[in-house]
Amino acid sequence: MNADRKICREIADCGRSSEQRIGLLPQHHLRARNSAAAEDRAATWMGLGIAEIGAMVGGQIRQGHLLPVVLATLCQLFDATVKGYSSSILLLDVTGARVRNAAGPGMPASYMKQFEGRQVRWNETPFGARIIAKTPVIMDPVSDTRREGQEAAPAIAPGLRLHEVSPILSLTGEPLGIFVVFQRESKADFPRYHPTLVAQFTQVASAVIERMRSDEALKRSAELLERTQQFSSTCCFSWRVGTDEISSSKELCQLFGLDADDVPVTFALIGARIHPEDISTFHEMIERAKSGVSEFECEHRLRLPDNSVKYLRVVAHRTRNQEGHLEYIGAVQDVTHRRHAEEALAKSRDELARAARVTSLGVLTAAIAHEVNQPLAGIVTNASTCRRMLAVDPPDVEGARETARRTIRDAERASEIVRRLRALFCKKGATSESLDLNEATREVVALSLSELERNKVIVRTELAAELPSVQGDRVQLQQVILNLLLNASDAMSSVDDRPRQLVIRTERDEKDCVRLSVRDTGVGFDPQAVDRLFDAFYTTKSGGMGIGLSVSRSIIESHRGRLWATPNDGPGVTFSFSIACGPQDGTAGVNSARSVGVVRTSAAANAEERHPRSL
Amino acid sequence: MTEMVKHPLVSVVDDDESVRESLPDLLRELGYSARAFSSAEEFLASDCVAETRCLILDIAMPGMTGPDLQQELTVRGQEIPIVFITAQADETVRPRSLEQGAVECLFKPFSDTALFETLNAVFRVS
Repeated sequence: MNADRKICREIADCGRSSEQRIGLLPQHHLRARNSAAAEDRAATWMGLGIAEIGAMVGGQIRQGHLLPVVLATLCQLFDATVKGYSSSILLLDVTGARVRNAAGPGMPASYMKQFEGRQVRWNETPFGARIIAKTPVIMDPVSDTRREGQEAAPAIAPGLRLHEVSPILSLTGEPLGIFVVFQRESKADFPRYHPTLVAQFTQVASAVIERMRSDEALKRSAELLERTQQFSSTCCFSWRVGTDEISSSKELCQLFGLDADDVPVTFALIGARIHPEDISTFHEMIERAKSGVSEFECEHRLRLPDNSVKYLRVVAHRTRNQEGHLEYIGAVQDVTHRRHAEEALAKSRDELARAARVTSLGVLTAAIAHEVNQPLAGIVTNASTCRRMLAVDPPDVEGARETARRTIRDAERASEIVRRLRALFCKKGATSESLDLNEATREVVALSLSELERNKVIVRTELAAELPSVQGDRVQLQQVILNLLLNASDAMSSVDDRPRQLVIRTERDEKDCVRLSVRDTGVGFDPQAVDRLFDAFYTTKSGGMGIGLSVSRSIIESHRGRLWATPNDGPGVTFSFSIACGPQDGTAGVNSARSVGVVRTSAAANAEERHPRSL
Repeated sequence: MTEMVKHPLVSVVDDDESVRESLPDLLRELGYSARAFSSAEEFLASDCVAETRCLILDIAMPGMTGPDLQQELTVRGQEIPIVFITAQADETVRPRSLEQGAVECLFKPFSDTALFETLNAVFRVS
């Protein structure tokens, strides 16, 4: 009972803060140990065993105590075990170069102060050599090391004698800290029959430090992941394909508007949130993944119970889990804001393009009108004069002849202006380059995707691999492709009883040509009207001017190709154009009206079958 | 003096040659004497300014424009009735011209009747 109180008092005296004093040392252990005689204390300690020290500090770790606190407990346990001795643990930083922290509840305040608030280089302490040697040393009074200890101790811990220094090493042998034991009472004897005591404590300290550092690293990485997920509106998931087990972060539940109780997340729960129009896309993605592709990605929408819509982007990577089962690890990103911004951008771009078109058309009209009105004024004036000259008696025949001559001359001038304007238009911007039709198509699809999606059109591209390049004007050909896409989209705008599917396909055509076709499932066209489809100003659309197909055809023809339409077996129409691949000779211009006529004739036999009416 | 009353001088200023060629002939057919100038500067430098009873003036010309000439004549105190002609099909031109004191603004191509009526109006007033 006496011994009990004494030990408790010692601990209280040595404790550097009330927190350490109260909480850290389980009293029943002390009682268990200290009820035995002082000489037996080490033996009792042996009875506790390394596993039990581990369990005690492990409990503190689990309770969330910080590393210095846990190490202080370890020191307290040691100090309580070996009477007259005080231990301290110097914790090195992760680089192993400096003392980051010190624990030593039984050490005088002056000793502890040396390590407070500044990071001491351990090689500036008297223990440096031990860390380098990575071996413990007992400051035996008769050994050579005694001098080292005796000289150092007064400086670092006045009044105490350095007893033992033991480096705390990681499993891989890296220095984590130093376990230092001082003799506090000169008469105290270290239990010589228990030479491994310090080694055991050192071992526990090593395990504690490593465990807590890895816990901290794990926690940090989990925090980092969580922050990253928050910042990027991303959630992570893993999916075991064989069992359809999905493990996910809580953010995923939030994203899908699921309750926290909806764990584990299942495909049934997710499926209920997928936007009805994207269900097929979602299932396609699942099927694709089940076939074992190495990576998949997909964009689809969610419709949440409150009817709000979210846009998600899913990317996943195939892996094998520890049991060797197929598993995908991936991320789901909420791209709603981005999609809204993109849609707004596309909308303003459309409006801008429309405004620009109207403006430039207006400017153009005025310029043409001015150019043509000048000679027209001459024509009208001359003709009027001519009539008046003939109306008088006697008629001024000579004057009339002269004004008639001028009338004809001005009319020729007017037609010359018109001819020049046409030449100007055809020439404008037309350049001929070698280009990849697939790439040009992809660009157009990317540009028009938002517009197509707005019209609820499902786009499928089937671009032939190794398609030979074609020669032509990139922008003009892209205008044609865009026009075909938008036409197809418009043709499907009233279709509600079947998918609005649009297939863009490129392939090699006969005679060294490349063919691009756009197939829709739209309303199609009246077979009677097939002849007029490509006529300027022919339109079935309320908002259209009817020049798209006409211009498209003239562009394709200026590329010495042809553009035609065929009704599908099912609903809808396929518009196709075919142009020659490979480099053409430089003189075969993109825009010469004359060459168009010649080439058209040569291609006529083929073209006539589809559209009997020649252009 | 009687000669001048019978055939008042109408001057045409236009950079377009076919107008300079055709319009004087028509004016003569309508009973006026006519002179044509290819620019405002040429007209101002001529000895016809004081004699001109009506000026048929193109709006858009390189160098001095029609309105520029109108302003210059006002500065000089030469109050000649002006009929603007233009190939620009801009509807706002006419009210603007009339507001600034022109008798009329004709859009090319204009008919002989329109010209005839305009000149009738000019000379009835003067």
